[in-house]
Amino acid sequence: MADDPVIQTFMIECTELLQAMEDALLRLEAAPEDEETINALFRSAHTIKGSSGIVGFENIERFTHKVENVLEQVRSGKIKVDNELIELLLKCRDHIANLIELAEKDTPASASDRTAEEGLLRQLQSYLTSTDKQSNTKINDTAPSQLGSNSPNSLNYPHPSSEPSGSGDGVRTFLHGRDVESGNWHISLRFGEDVLRNGMDPISFINYLTRLGEIVSLTTITDAVPPAAEMDPESCYLGFEIDFKSDFDKQTIEDVFEFVREDCKICILPPRSRIEEYIQLINSLPEAPLKIGEILVRGGALTPHELEEALKIQNAEAVYPSPLEGEGQGEGCSQRKSLIGEIVVDEKMTYPPVVDAAVEKQKKQKEAQAREAKTIRVDTNKLDQLVNLVGELVIANANIIQNAQRLGDIDMIESASTLSRLIEDIRDRAMQARMVPIGESFNRFHRVIRDISREMSKDIELAVSGGETELDKNLTEKINDPLMHLVRNAADHGIEKPDVRISKGKPAKGVIRLNAFNDAGSIVIEISDDGSGLNREKIIEKAVEKGLINSEQTLSDKEIYKLIFAPGFSTAENVTNISGRGVGMDVVRKGISSLRGSIDINSQEGLGTTITLRLPLTLAIIEGLLVKIGGEYFVLTLSSVEECVDLTREDIANSHGRHLANVRGQIVPYIRLREQFMIKGSLPDIEQIVIVRVEGQRVGFVVDHVIGEHQTVLKNLGRIYKDIEGISGATILGDGTVALILDVPRLVQSAEREEVRG
Amino acid sequence: MAKTIMTIDDSASIRQVVGITLKKAGYEVLEACDGKDALNKLTGQKVHLIVCDVNMPNMDGIAFLKTVKQHPAYKFTPIIMLTTESQEAKKQEGKAAGAKAWVVKPFKPEQMLSAVEKLILP
Amino acid sequence: MTVNVERNNGLYKLAIEGEMTVLTSAELKRHLLYNLENCSKLEIDLSQVSEMDSAGFQLLFLTKREAIYSGKIMRITSHSEATSSVLELYNMHGEVF
Repeated sequence: MADDPVIQTFMIECTELLQAMEDALLRLEAAPEDEETINALFRSAHTIKGSSGIVGFENIERFTHKVENVLEQVRSGKIKVDNELIELLLKCRDHIANLIELAEKDTPASASDRTAEEGLLRQLQSYLTSTDKQSNTKINDTAPSQLGSNSPNSLNYPHPSSEPSGSGDGVRTFLHGRDVESGNWHISLRFGEDVLRNGMDPISFINYLTRLGEIVSLTTITDAVPPAAEMDPESCYLGFEIDFKSDFDKQTIEDVFEFVREDCKICILPPRSRIEEYIQLINSLPEAPLKIGEILVRGGALTPHELEEALKIQNAEAVYPSPLEGEGQGEGCSQRKSLIGEIVVDEKMTYPPVVDAAVEKQKKQKEAQAREAKTIRVDTNKLDQLVNLVGELVIANANIIQNAQRLGDIDMIESASTLSRLIEDIRDRAMQARMVPIGESFNRFHRVIRDISREMSKDIELAVSGGETELDKNLTEKINDPLMHLVRNAADHGIEKPDVRISKGKPAKGVIRLNAFNDAGSIVIEISDDGSGLNREKIIEKAVEKGLINSEQTLSDKEIYKLIFAPGFSTAENVTNISGRGVGMDVVRKGISSLRGSIDINSQEGLGTTITLRLPLTLAIIEGLLVKIGGEYFVLTLSSVEECVDLTREDIANSHGRHLANVRGQIVPYIRLREQFMIKGSLPDIEQIVIVRVEGQRVGFVVDHVIGEHQTVLKNLGRIYKDIEGISGATILGDGTVALILDVPRLVQSAEREEVRG
Repeated sequence: MAKTIMTIDDSASIRQVVGITLKKAGYEVLEACDGKDALNKLTGQKVHLIVCDVNMPNMDGIAFLKTVKQHPAYKFTPIIMLTTESQEAKKQEGKAAGAKAWVVKPFKPEQMLSAVEKLILP
Repeated sequence: MTVNVERNNGLYKLAIEGEMTVLTSAELKRHLLYNLENCSKLEIDLSQVSEMDSAGFQLLFLTKREAIYSGKIMRITSHSEATSSVLELYNMHGEVF
């Protein structure tokens, strides 16, 4: 189901609309009467309803419809916006989000979802019932005038009486209940003067009619065309008498004319209608009875005999008008129905004029819309494929360059390098196409902060900056969870309650800041709060209790803060349902390192905490350092590499079997990749150590040769490499050789474990 | 020559559904995301029919309708308005401005197609 | 829409090109009635008409009717697919034109 492109568009659209709904609701909290915000809110709900109906999610449509009803009343000022309503609407928004998610996964709603929905619907209904009274009165006010007057276009002729009238008219009694012989429909049309101006053309309707059946006969009535001087060429003066053979039902045939029925005289007589109905038709039409009669006979609607009888009755009725005239009872109803011009009663209700939304007021949306108009949606998969292909291109080109160099053909080398510049350009553009501003991800947290503030009676403001900073779309999806943990933590553990803050001399309102900026090919995201800061003693206490450290160890602040990333670590005294389940930070660290990113913590007790995430701009391209061990190639992410130094036999001898190197007086532990990956072959005389920084710590990796910087597109090489610990992916070099990409954080962790065990 | 239909809706998925349906039926389709966008795209283009949502940001359907009815080249272009039952007042306003064809949202693609075909054949 | 007129004594030959629709109907009405008034015989060539709607049809009908009233002859010498299909649908081919 999710493969359907329409459904996909729907999902993307709904995500945006739900966000817009949420933004609007949050804005309403501050300005409950802002018309523009209310309109935006209404429009979002309205569009979700409309779209979901069209793509076939009726449950979403039904629910959103109710929400829209309430919003409609809000818009018209019948319902006032208060916090209670905002709360309810936020819950409704969440419920819609949930329904959409279920629809995407194609799973039915659970019992609790349904109970929740019923609860929400009841609450929504309570808003609607309280305004019902008002609207009822309105309808009643206007009702008599609608029912009392016939549309000026309606054909006012006597309705057939189901009972013979008391006049004792012999002819009438004789004819009663007789049906005409014709098995065809008869359609009588007199178009209104404005139809052409309204873009409607009788030609189209008659053409459409031929799709439903066969036109047996058609007579164009031009009697109404006025003398040349008075004739308005843009007006329509045409009428038609059509005999029509069709197996469709009356409704379907009537519906052909649905767009003109208000402006036209339309009479549709089903096959084998009663003669009376033809009589009424003849009476109702502006042309002379005999003329119409002849048309009817010619078209086969009536036999000459039937016409004769009909005209006799017609004359008789002119003398004895039907006593039931004007009553739409019994059989008359079906007759009335065919007079489509009359079925407008419901649509004639008058409503209070709706204030036209001032266009100037919508400037903000205008700009956003204008932007939208210049963009197209592209499936991220398509972009991925493109980037992949560009990756192949880079590799293929590297191959060409190698061959050109081998052949020593200067011209060839020249051409190949021109090509390679172009390819690099294409790659950059393709990558850029996947970049999105991080602001959207940031803005989601307004709601989170609001909810936490309420739940915990805190006063917290979220300050967002650097929202325009761009990063890979895939990455934005993946950082959402870690960010959520960090923001919740800051709100929950970081920011104190207002009274506590005041007693500490801080403003009652706490601030959580989300900031993003680009730095040296990475994106840096900072989550900072002006709360209580991390409590060193508490962390140490907890860590000792959990056996993570022993009480004698002396640790730097950084090392202490790092402890909170250990699995199962939580210092929160009360486990709240917001954070503090003790899994948070561990999960965050794993999440970030799987994105080849790093986390850094800075904290000052009493003043607040800043967590800094550093992530690559994209997951698809690696700026790496290519190294060689034996015959194998490996890539380390360049952003983590600090320096490369030689490791001589002498150094090894000096470290007495421990994996420690002395780098300009600093002791750096190292990992021998040769051992790690069990690579055979003889050692070179001088090995090299690549020093990387992982979570604030310097670690060395020993390799045979450092080949140089290498920019490469990540390839998915399937399962074979998936289970190898310490490998996060692979890439293909210009000559087709595979180079494995090292998962540096994992390698360091496993080395640490080794060391503990050893 | 295929007839050209312009669809105006702020919902991309509705535009997509309508677009796919109409293209399948043999029409050319032009899309616009609101009234302003539509007016920009209309310049000089022969359009045989317009399908226009009522509720849109940045010039709604009624304002668009009123504007297009003043336009010498498009004043007689048939317009199908998309509406919901909750927009009665808008509908009255639109009818007064000359919009006669209304399709109620949500609609099935075939309903949209038959509404279009009643007004123009592909 | 363009209307080319070839006047040869009382015989006016009108060649209409482009669309005969509600959009061009005001102009077309002027052309048709002006030429009808001044001619003794009107021949209309519709072979280059790309599109005709009911407004166009009405004007052909009106011209024909006015011609009959004033005792003049009006004849359509050739049709295009667009004009002939409308007359066919309206069942007016044989009758008036």
